[in-house]
Amino acid sequence: MPASQGGIHLARSEFLCLKDVHKTYGAVRAVDGVDLGIEPGRIFGLLGPNGAGKTTTLEMIEGLRRPDSGTITYGEHDLVRQPRVARERFGVQLQTSAFFELLRVDETIDLFASFYRHTLPTETLIERFELGEKRKAYVQHLSGGQRQRLAVAVALVNDPEVVFLDEPTAGLDPQARRNVWDSVRQLREEGRSVVLTTHYMDEAEALCDQLAVMDHGRVLDEGQPKELIARRMPGAFIELSSEVPIADDVSLPGLERLTREGPKTVLMTQHLDETLAALAEWARARDVPLTGLATRSATLEDVFLHLTGRSLRD
Amino acid sequence: MRQLLTVTEALLRTLVRNRQALFWTFFFPVMLMVVFGFLGNSSFKLNLLVAGPANGPEAKIVQAYEKIPYFKVKRTSRQRALHLVRLGQADAVLLLPPATTPPPWHATLVYNSANMQTAQQAVSAVTSAAAQINLAMTGQHPFLVVKPQAASGSRSATYLDFLLPGVLALMAMQNSLFGVAGSLTRWKEKGVLRRFLATPLRPVQFLGGVVLYQLVFGILSAALIVAIAVVFLHATVVLPLLPLLATVILGMATFLAIGFVIAGFAKTEEASMPIINVVSFPMMFLSGVFFPVTTLPPFLRSIVHFLPLTYLVDGVRGLMSGQYAAWAPAVQTDIFALLVWFVLLAIVSTRSWRWE
Repeated sequence: MPASQGGIHLARSEFLCLKDVHKTYGAVRAVDGVDLGIEPGRIFGLLGPNGAGKTTTLEMIEGLRRPDSGTITYGEHDLVRQPRVARERFGVQLQTSAFFELLRVDETIDLFASFYRHTLPTETLIERFELGEKRKAYVQHLSGGQRQRLAVAVALVNDPEVVFLDEPTAGLDPQARRNVWDSVRQLREEGRSVVLTTHYMDEAEALCDQLAVMDHGRVLDEGQPKELIARRMPGAFIELSSEVPIADDVSLPGLERLTREGPKTVLMTQHLDETLAALAEWARARDVPLTGLATRSATLEDVFLHLTGRSLRD
Repeated sequence: MRQLLTVTEALLRTLVRNRQALFWTFFFPVMLMVVFGFLGNSSFKLNLLVAGPANGPEAKIVQAYEKIPYFKVKRTSRQRALHLVRLGQADAVLLLPPATTPPPWHATLVYNSANMQTAQQAVSAVTSAAAQINLAMTGQHPFLVVKPQAASGSRSATYLDFLLPGVLALMAMQNSLFGVAGSLTRWKEKGVLRRFLATPLRPVQFLGGVVLYQLVFGILSAALIVAIAVVFLHATVVLPLLPLLATVILGMATFLAIGFVIAGFAKTEEASMPIINVVSFPMMFLSGVFFPVTTLPPFLRSIVHFLPLTYLVDGVRGLMSGQYAAWAPAVQTDIFALLVWFVLLAIVSTRSWRWE
C-alpha cells in the first residue's frame, strides 16, 4: 500500500487520513486495517462489492461510528476523539438518507440548516439542485432522483470542505445518474473534496480522481483509475467466440493468460500486435475462422477481478 | 435548546399534515364517549300497559297516566299485556274493571317481579299517580303539594363523567406508546435517525425534541377531547389545571419511557406493534378506564395496583370528578406511583436504547 512517502503523500496525510483502522461487529471484521489518504479538492472513490466495508469506513470518518482501533485525522483534528468536528464540518449523504416524509423540501433544508453555525442559504441550494418546482412538495411525493438531489442539497447545507456520498447513484436511472455525476464534479470545481462509494465500475472510472479498491474490509489497491489499470493490467484482451477450437495450452507470443468466460475465450496479452499476428497465422494454418474476434484494453472490471478473484456483480 | 425546538416544530408540522393519523387519534375516544354516553344517559321510563274495556271512563284514566312523563303507556288486550309483563317486555300492566259499577273502581296492577328495583318503582309510581288522579277526579283540595325543583349547578354522576377521565388517560397511554415506539422504530429502520446523528445535533437534543412534541400533542389532544365532551356531550367536569397537568404530563412521560424501551428492543416498526399491544391491552381493560377497579376480582385487583395506568386513571378521575382536592393525599399517591414508574423506566430506556 502506498504509505506516506515523498512530498505529495505528506501533503495529503495532513488533510484527511486513516491509519490502520479496524472495526468488528461480533465476529465480523467489517473493516480490517484500512489506510487511506484523501486529498483536498479531489474526488475519492471507494470501490467494492456489497459488504466490503465501504460504508463502515465512511461512517467512521463521518463520526457516526467509533473505530475499535487506528487513527483518523482531519488536519490537526483527531476525529476518533472529536467526532463532533466531523459532524460539524463534513457534509454527509447516507446510503439511505430518509427525511420526515411530511416535511416540505424547503422546510427539510431549513431544519438541517438550524443545526449548524455556518450555512448556505436554502434558496441557493434549492436553485442549484433544481428543486425549485418541488420547493413546497412533501418529501413523500418526490421521485427517486429528486430525493437524491435533496439528500445532496442537505449534505451541502453547512458549506462543507469534504462531502461524503454513500452510493449516490444506487437505484437511479441513467439520466439521473449523469445528473449526480455533474453535481459531484461541480463540488470538486468549488474546491471541495468528495468521498464516494460505488459498486459501479464505469462510475468509478469516469468520476474518480483517486480510487481505493476494497474487499473483505481491506484496501486491496489504491491509485488513479488509469494508473491502477496500467499497473495491474498492463496488457490488452483478445476475445473470441468459444466455437474457435483453441486449446488452453496454446503457445502464442506475448500471451499471458487464457480464460473462458461463458461464450467467450479471452486471451490476455502484453503485446497485442504480436499476439494478434500469431493468432491470425494459427487460424490460417488450420483453416479456422476467427469468429467473434474483438480486442479491448483492460478496464477496472479486469483490475477488480484480478485483485479479488470475483466479479463485482456477484 | 433552539435545535431541540426546531425538531419539535418540524414534527408538529408533519403531525398536522398527517390527517389520517389525526382522525384516528380523535375518532376512537370520541366514539367511545358518544356510544357509552348515550347508554348511560338514556332517561328511564316505566313501560306501563293498560288493559280494560275500550271506551268509558277508563279512557280518562289512560289519559291521566299518559300525561305523567315517567310512564310510557300503551293500550293492549288483557291476555297479551300479562304475557308481555311476564316476559319482562313491559314493567307492569294496570287491569281496569268495566266501568258499570259506581266508583271506587278496583284496578289491579300486575308487575314483573324479576327485578325488585323496577318492581318497586312501578308499584309506587302507579299508586302515587292514582292518588293524584283521585284528587283531580273528585275535585278535593290537596292537603300537601310538593313542587320539585332542580338544584342549580348540580352535578350528575353520569357514566360519561366517569368515562371521560379514563379516556384521557387511555389516550395519554396510546399516543405516547404508538408515537414513540412506532415512529422511532420507523425512523431507525428507514435511516432518518442516522441522518440526524451525522449532524452536530446532539442525540439528547433530538430525543428531547421528540419528547416535547409528544407532550405538546398529548396535552392539546386531551384539551380538545375535554372540550368536545363538555360542549357536545354535556359532560360535567372539574378542571384543577395545575394538579391535572402535573398528573397527565407525568403519566405521558411514563408511557413515553415505555415507548423508548420498546423502540430500543424492536428492530422494525412491524416488530414494535405487537409489543405495544401486549403492553397496552391489559391496562386498557384492567386499570379502571371503563369500570372501577373495585369491581375486579381480588386477585386481579392486586395485579392492577402495580400498573401505571391505574394511577393515571385514578388521579385524573379523582381530580376531574372533584372527589380529590388539588394535591390531596390521594393525588400525591398517584403522582408518586407514576414518578416511581417513570424513573425506573427512564433508567431502563437509557440502557436499552439503540440508535440502530
